[in-house]
Amino acid sequence: MTDLVGSDLAVQLGARRVLAGASCALRAGELVLLAGRNGAGKSTLLRALLGAQAVAGGAVQLGGKPIGSWRGDERARQLAFVPQAIETPFEFTGRELVAMGRHPHRGRGAPLSADDRTAIAEALRDVDAEGFADRPVTTLSGGEQRRIAVARALATKAPLLLLDEPTNCLDLEHALQLVALMDRLCAQGRGCLVASHDLNLFAPAADRVVVLHEGRVAADAPPEQALAPALLRSVFGVDCGPASGGFPRAFRLPG
Amino acid sequence: MTRALVAVLALLALAALHLGLAREGPGLADVAAWLAGCVGVGDGVPAVDAFVLGDIRLPRLLVALCGGASLALAGAVMQATFRNPLASPDLVGTSAGAAFGGALTIVTGAAAWSVIATPAGSLLGALATTALVFTLARAHDRFAVTSLLLAGIALNTLVGALTSFAVTFTFDNYTASSRVLFWLMGGLDARTWEHAAITAFGLLLCGALLRPAVRDLDLLTLSDDAAHSLGLDAPRARRRLVWIACGLTAATVSNTGGIAFVGLVVPHLARLLVGPAHDRLLPASAWLGAILLVAADLGCRLAPPDANLRLGVVTAFLGAPYFLWLLARHRRGEAL
Repeated sequence: MTDLVGSDLAVQLGARRVLAGASCALRAGELVLLAGRNGAGKSTLLRALLGAQAVAGGAVQLGGKPIGSWRGDERARQLAFVPQAIETPFEFTGRELVAMGRHPHRGRGAPLSADDRTAIAEALRDVDAEGFADRPVTTLSGGEQRRIAVARALATKAPLLLLDEPTNCLDLEHALQLVALMDRLCAQGRGCLVASHDLNLFAPAADRVVVLHEGRVAADAPPEQALAPALLRSVFGVDCGPASGGFPRAFRLPG
Repeated sequence: MTRALVAVLALLALAALHLGLAREGPGLADVAAWLAGCVGVGDGVPAVDAFVLGDIRLPRLLVALCGGASLALAGAVMQATFRNPLASPDLVGTSAGAAFGGALTIVTGAAAWSVIATPAGSLLGALATTALVFTLARAHDRFAVTSLLLAGIALNTLVGALTSFAVTFTFDNYTASSRVLFWLMGGLDARTWEHAAITAFGLLLCGALLRPAVRDLDLLTLSDDAAHSLGLDAPRARRRLVWIACGLTAATVSNTGGIAFVGLVVPHLARLLVGPAHDRLLPASAWLGAILLVAADLGCRLAPPDANLRLGVVTAFLGAPYFLWLLARHRRGEAL
């Protein structure tokens, strides 16, 4: 079973200490919400867990091995990533971009195999993107581009997924579909770590919520505990109701 | 498959025209007779025509074919590695370094020693400038796009100024300064088999190195994080690929002088034909680059001799309107 464990991670970007001893783990079968204010270090933590960000302290282990000791393609078959935006200036079609998700499975110069094609078709179906998969990605709406980015990560068939704001720009229906999809993936034994500001969307489905505050983990617990009113007030600066708990919650400014 | 066959036939036809169309000397019929003679059919052509075709026009054709393909490939590689459709081999100082190195050999008189002195000086200038850009760009042990761009712009300006200085330094020597200027404008006249060999070697070597990396180029058009998540060490791949693009550029520019726009424009045209995926884009760019440079050189050669049309000027004439068209397209909201 592949686990991803980041312990005591410290990251310094220029003069700023973005992470100051943050620990976060992701196991197969769980959906973890990574929450925090703007600039709390969520994206940096995801990048550190991915091995794309050098850490000044602490360590990241994937499947019990330091993340840096994995060969690129082997790591990519275990751990996939959905970045905040699709960022190619060229007119690749959605299908071509999703096909890039098969890169870690293909030998150098090898054409797409039948397995690759099946994985690509499944990934596109999972995010309901078949209708626009053959259009240039530069002509797609922000939400459609997000779904292609998620499909690319799904096409890797990696058991662990890191998602940075996957519901940005998504309409309500597709945002809910994405949560349902992640729920389904977790039920199949995959693990998802989602950085998001949409607490009401993900908290009901999440097994745990990791709250990041000023580079440290302020809470790592089931949603009810992690997003307790006291913490919401101290970390996010908001009050919430009703006091009985549960989700969705109505957030409001204090006072 | 049919498309590839048509592409090869078109290139061969253009090559035959390039060999046979000239203001004087052997014509198309002589090319046919010469080629037939080469494979033992017919009587061939008189020795003087065989010399013109085999030792003057053929090396020139080969430099045009390989040079065009090299510059276009270099452009396609740079645009992917820089994630910028406006990137070109000129960006990291390779062309400027080549121009400076070549100009220096002319100014110092080293060019008179041997026919390959200018290409050699220019190759050294290109590689040295590129290496310097790379060293400057390696801040924080990363090989990021922005630092490469900044270092490239700085070195381009500096080396360009040094070249201008070298030219003005020889202003008293009219022959030397006009030769430098002539060379800087790019051209394929008086190319020999030595020039053809350097250009062809550069293309074959760098082409062979590029072949296994075509999908890496696709991944590099994403962000470094996305490429990393798909198993690619983006900074390392970028460094390797930019070196290959510089090798292609240096091997060509050192033999042709400055040739504008081929590396910038051709990948755009090729993308319109086959899309952005590099397994198709690279061969299409190489093909189009070869076609464009051979056609442009043919145009140069057929122009009246007193027009003194230089190849670099022709490619710039072709390239600038294309960019205006691209601008119009961009204003309509389409991607570059």
